[in-house]
Amino acid sequence: MEAQAVQGPEVVIRLILALVALLGLAYLGGLPFVQRLERRLRIAQLVTAGFPFVALGILLGLPSVGILTESVVGTLSPLLGFGLGWIGFTAGFRLDVRELDDLPKGTARAVGFATALPFAAILASVALFLLATSDWSRFDLSNPEFLRNAFVLGTAGAMTAQQAARLLGDAGREQRTLLRLEELAGMVGMAFIAAYFRPHGEGIGWQLPGTAWLFLTVGLGGVLGVLAYVVLLRSDTPAESVLLLLGTVAFGAGFGAKLYLAPMVVCFVAGVFLSNVPGEHRARLREALGRLERPIYLLFLVTVGAIWDFDDWRGWALLPFFVGARLMGKWLAESLIQQTTEIASNDDHWMARRAPIGQLSIAIVVSAQLLFPEGGIPILETAVLGGAILTELLAQIFARNRTKAQPALTPGVEP
Amino acid sequence: MNLLLILALGGLMHAARTFDAGGAHATTLAFGFVLLTAFFAGRIFSNLRLPKLTGYIAAGIVVGPTVLGLLSPEMVHDLEIVDGVAIAMIALTAGNELDLKAFRPLLGSIYWITLFAVVGTAILLGVAVFAMKGFLPFLSEIPLLPSIAVALVVGVVMAAQSPAVVVALRDEMEADGPMSRTVLGVVVIADLVVILLFAATSSLAKSVFGAPGELSDTLGLLTWEILGSLTSGVLVGGLIALYLRFVGKQGAALFVVTVCFVVAEVGSRLHFDPLLVALAAGVLIRNATRQGDLLHGQIEMASLPVYVVFFAVAGAHIDLRLLATVGIPATVFVLVRGFGLVAGSRIGARVAGSPEVVRRWAGFGLLPQAGLALALAALFVKAFPAFGADARALVLGVVALNELLAPAIYRWALVRSGEAGKRVEEEAPDLAEEAQPAA
Repeated sequence: MEAQAVQGPEVVIRLILALVALLGLAYLGGLPFVQRLERRLRIAQLVTAGFPFVALGILLGLPSVGILTESVVGTLSPLLGFGLGWIGFTAGFRLDVRELDDLPKGTARAVGFATALPFAAILASVALFLLATSDWSRFDLSNPEFLRNAFVLGTAGAMTAQQAARLLGDAGREQRTLLRLEELAGMVGMAFIAAYFRPHGEGIGWQLPGTAWLFLTVGLGGVLGVLAYVVLLRSDTPAESVLLLLGTVAFGAGFGAKLYLAPMVVCFVAGVFLSNVPGEHRARLREALGRLERPIYLLFLVTVGAIWDFDDWRGWALLPFFVGARLMGKWLAESLIQQTTEIASNDDHWMARRAPIGQLSIAIVVSAQLLFPEGGIPILETAVLGGAILTELLAQIFARNRTKAQPALTPGVEP
Repeated sequence: MNLLLILALGGLMHAARTFDAGGAHATTLAFGFVLLTAFFAGRIFSNLRLPKLTGYIAAGIVVGPTVLGLLSPEMVHDLEIVDGVAIAMIALTAGNELDLKAFRPLLGSIYWITLFAVVGTAILLGVAVFAMKGFLPFLSEIPLLPSIAVALVVGVVMAAQSPAVVVALRDEMEADGPMSRTVLGVVVIADLVVILLFAATSSLAKSVFGAPGELSDTLGLLTWEILGSLTSGVLVGGLIALYLRFVGKQGAALFVVTVCFVVAEVGSRLHFDPLLVALAAGVLIRNATRQGDLLHGQIEMASLPVYVVFFAVAGAHIDLRLLATVGIPATVFVLVRGFGLVAGSRIGARVAGSPEVVRRWAGFGLLPQAGLALALAALFVKAFPAFGADARALVLGVVALNELLAPAIYRWALVRSGEAGKRVEEEAPDLAEEAQPAA
């Protein structure tokens, strides 16, 4: 009783502070003059992308605040797996293969340049950095952790945020589809990493070659897609659609994670299946996704903020390498796209269109952290989260001149 | 088709379980599996004119550790994180339903039914436990006076009701009217009354066993729990009302779920009762602000998945092997409890001059039992470690039977009283006919 009386007021004050912080964020975000200010300062993207919620997660996770303590974060860790599945599912559901039918000639080449060149540039520079800063006394060539981490960062950096297509008021279907295809490439990359860099241990069953895991990923996603299709046909009300969608994504994400596959890739495949099977379920699903997308994503970001270990200096040192290599790769890709394809582009503003790092990139490093908890992934999170903020600001600065006369667009939350 | 889907999900779950046993991702998998299987089980039960809620519980029993074992005990333990959120959401719903103006005419009925049915049944159960002393190994070797005291405590624990089941069934059946409102009022008040009775009788029993000085500690703890919970509830209610007033619907469902999570997590650390905190918040929002209807809409959308998992997890906790051991005495106490609540409710309603519908049917709404009895049983084990575990097994048996049977009985009472579907009728008269058969 005495102990409670001493501990009580502190915890209550923290609780109230946390709630007030949430309330304050929501209230401030909803005020028209704040939205106008965000647009004027060109930070609307950052706000709508949910970075304040990452900051809130960091704040609540600080030992001096003590709301999202280690034990609470441990309890909430299933939310990360679910959030990853959710992000993969929504990204997959937005990939309509019918949109690929009449794309201009050279699209495949353009996507190849836009993803492969940044990937290669990041892979090379980050691998060198990680090799240089690794502990040589524990270096194991048979299990090259630095290479796996470089692959993860290369995959995360290969994609561009979806809102980039709208940054310059360029909301063309062509650009959006290109960015969707970049996401597809990122998912393929993540599937490869999960299949070929599998964790080892006594408790892990099903010893299969990497290629078999790759097929299993796609097969599992397909089976879950069929299951989700049948399940979602059974909903009668919006509340039931929400329940069935939550259940399907949680089941898919949990199943994938249990097999040490990337949950977001498994759910991505299921989402693509559902998006491309004809039927009335798509409208219901779209409505349920619209209702839940932002809340789940923002909760995911709060949890990401709480687990983000930003104390390691290597993460901040890696940041310029990562961002620099990515920008170089994207610039090179844009130049080659202009020279070798018919896809319309404006060379002056490639930075605004190609620079922003999206939430899917953040999800890829979080996914890697869940797959390889012992593998130095936190420094990659620092690079990607820091890089996302930095590239967003860079893109806004470069876009400013072109759109000076127009009000900035405030796109919804990706993915 | 519902059954086929459950079988398909079960097959996939079995395949996943062959890979490895644990990990945080197992919780995500279990959450999705429970949500889907319980939902479809609820549909099957609904087609059989049984409450969906019983279907959720039955699904939990079947896939849980004691029958098919598709959910491991660790998974069930991890899913308990939903319990706190669910209880807080249910209490927020209940509080938000307690429009004091509308309840004023029912206060007399609530008072007298609580006195006769709840307090009376606790005493009756205490007497029954003492009378069956010879059949209960944990009581048979205790001297007379302490055994009377322990019997009283066990009686109080077994008398507890379940606001969660009552609120969930009321929602499922879209019920409204004097009977369902009276039942809601009684179970909410009974929650407090049973906590107080437990504190008083367990302190008495402890002092009989020779542990003086416990009473003041217990009273202090109770004061802290009740007053602290109510004060925090007012603060939480104020925050939610401010959000709804100044921000509106934007992200409100997320905010409410987050608040419920924080209330459950922090509340339990502070020894607050999350149910009381959320109840006070709900009452404040309904009666002191204009945000009650907006809150109702936001909870309605978010509550279904939480309810489904909550009741399925409650089912997964039911140990059928235990029922085989304590089945006979547990059945006797379920019958005594049922008789006490129905008869006490009729006497209370008659004394209060309640309408005929309350007199005839309200008692059946008091039968559901769940979390509070289990929580008090756990406290009983802590208070009396020498024989508490045996008494707890008996209480678990009683709760298990009530969890399975009572929702179906209350559903039947709601239909027979004519209050099922009344809420839909009031909100949209043209939809009433459709809603009635569905209920």
